Amino acid sequence: MSMQHDAVVIGAGPAGLAAASRLAELGLDVLTLDEQFRLGGQIYRHIEKASDQQFRFLGDDYARGQILAARFRKSGAKYESSATVWQIEPDGSICYSRHGKSKRIKGSYIIAATGAMERPVPLPGWNLPGVIGAGAANNLAKEAGLQPDVPLVIAGSGPLLLLEATQLIKKGAKIEAILDTTPQIPPLSAAPKIPPALLRTDFLLKGVAMMQMIRRSSVPYLKGVTDIRCLGSEQVTGVEARQGDRTLTFDAKMVLLHFGVIPNTHIFRQAGCRMAWKNDQRYWHPVCDNWGRTNFERIFAAGDGAAVYGALAAEYKGELAALETARCLGILPEYERDALAAPLRAALKKDMYPRPLIDALFSPHFDATALPDETVLCRCEHVTVGDIRKVVAEGVHEVNEVKIITRSGMGPCQGRMCGPALAEIVASESGVSIQKAGLLNIRPPLKPIPLDEVATMDLGPDGSGPANLFKNQSK
Amino acid sequence: MFKQQHPTKAVSVLLDGRPSSLPGGMSVAAALLATGEIVSRLSPSSGKPCSPHCLMGICYECLMEIDGYQRQACMTEVQEGMVINRNILKNKEDQHEHAA
Repeated sequence: MSMQHDAVVIGAGPAGLAAASRLAELGLDVLTLDEQFRLGGQIYRHIEKASDQQFRFLGDDYARGQILAARFRKSGAKYESSATVWQIEPDGSICYSRHGKSKRIKGSYIIAATGAMERPVPLPGWNLPGVIGAGAANNLAKEAGLQPDVPLVIAGSGPLLLLEATQLIKKGAKIEAILDTTPQIPPLSAAPKIPPALLRTDFLLKGVAMMQMIRRSSVPYLKGVTDIRCLGSEQVTGVEARQGDRTLTFDAKMVLLHFGVIPNTHIFRQAGCRMAWKNDQRYWHPVCDNWGRTNFERIFAAGDGAAVYGALAAEYKGELAALETARCLGILPEYERDALAAPLRAALKKDMYPRPLIDALFSPHFDATALPDETVLCRCEHVTVGDIRKVVAEGVHEVNEVKIITRSGMGPCQGRMCGPALAEIVASESGVSIQKAGLLNIRPPLKPIPLDEVATMDLGPDGSGPANLFKNQSK
Repeated sequence: MFKQQHPTKAVSVLLDGRPSSLPGGMSVAAALLATGEIVSRLSPSSGKPCSPHCLMGICYECLMEIDGYQRQACMTEVQEGMVINRNILKNKEDQHEHAA
């Protein structure tokens, strides 16, 4: 296969599929690299093999993925599954590993559509076997038709938590309690966000229906819960939490945690893209123009990886990035790009109406000071919140320095699970702003790969040697 | 822990040295969870058991030896004849006995 493509799309979720389809339909040579072994990303996971029952159960929101997947297959876009991208460079070079071999290719343009991940929020016992993400449980249902058959507790905050709860109620799962950490009284900041949301009553009604279903079920639904703690030594056996001055305890063999979703930004940080802090949602995202272009001419960010707005918005943004890429490649004149973009921008605007309200209602309120010292922050290296506090008290106020001293973020996940909370803890303990506490530096390889793959890889015509692959990136 | 709504075609694998049957058409992590095997590895830093947490390639809690390499079980499709080693027995001697 050729080493040079007009465009390389990274990720085969809604944004990646839409971008690749559009580019291929315009006659461009586009390669889609996806890390999963099946396309669809997380939202449309397993979409091409889903059973009728799954479609009935997951509804129209999921079925939309079928249209997207069919369009992608028909478009003629090249597609490689199980392809783990481990380095991108501003000149369009990409290194990726597939079936035990690494390759270096080049795209005139890169559209990175890496999607979102569940916000990792440490709490005591969150690393016990049996404690999994609510989104993870959802993935298991889509991918393998697995449904929990032990007593479980659902805890956290956000619309996806409630969605997962209603799905489990429908399936008759044994839910001991839903512990919602969202405050009992909605924040005042939510009020001005209501009028635009009213333009999308369809969306609001969905939320109302979810709440009704939860309230009508026999499952205890508790709001304003704090101090959640998973109990057990070798495996989770229960959950303890507080509601006001009441202490609650539940027996459970499984705990599903969810605290909203954040962009998956490692690839942008590795490339050296400029990042910005979104304060109301408390996450970092790459800075993009309204086509999704980052500060690098050849690197675009599309979908939830650029900022979390959901599957539909991701699809539109993938197309917008594709249109601008096509213009740059000389396929579309500017006026045609703009004409094709207009309906997408209108649809995007409509889709965004309820977002400020949702964001305000479920704004993250991570209280780093409430975490007990013994809470494991970095699961890979077993670094506790107390370890971080000690180092911060000694005067270290920047996350990369904290990482060097404590090893938090140095394990195989490369700070994906501890990074966001690490910054919150460092900022809150030291009193510096979260921007000043910083963001963990990300270096290639983005995912651990066997060294023999690097040693034996074909670097292409301009590759000089494996050592050059790891030459220092930004900073 | 989990029940599978529709059985899928089984594949034969060697799991921790023992011939085992796992449901096919899904990731190694999902297949192990479907058969009640929730422990994916012992944490190399704490020695405590771990189970898959994110099921989408983020957390690395399901890292295990698959066909000779450390791989994320949630990102690897289970295949006929796979050799999967979780190395979850507490001490080396047990490990050897188990393999024999």
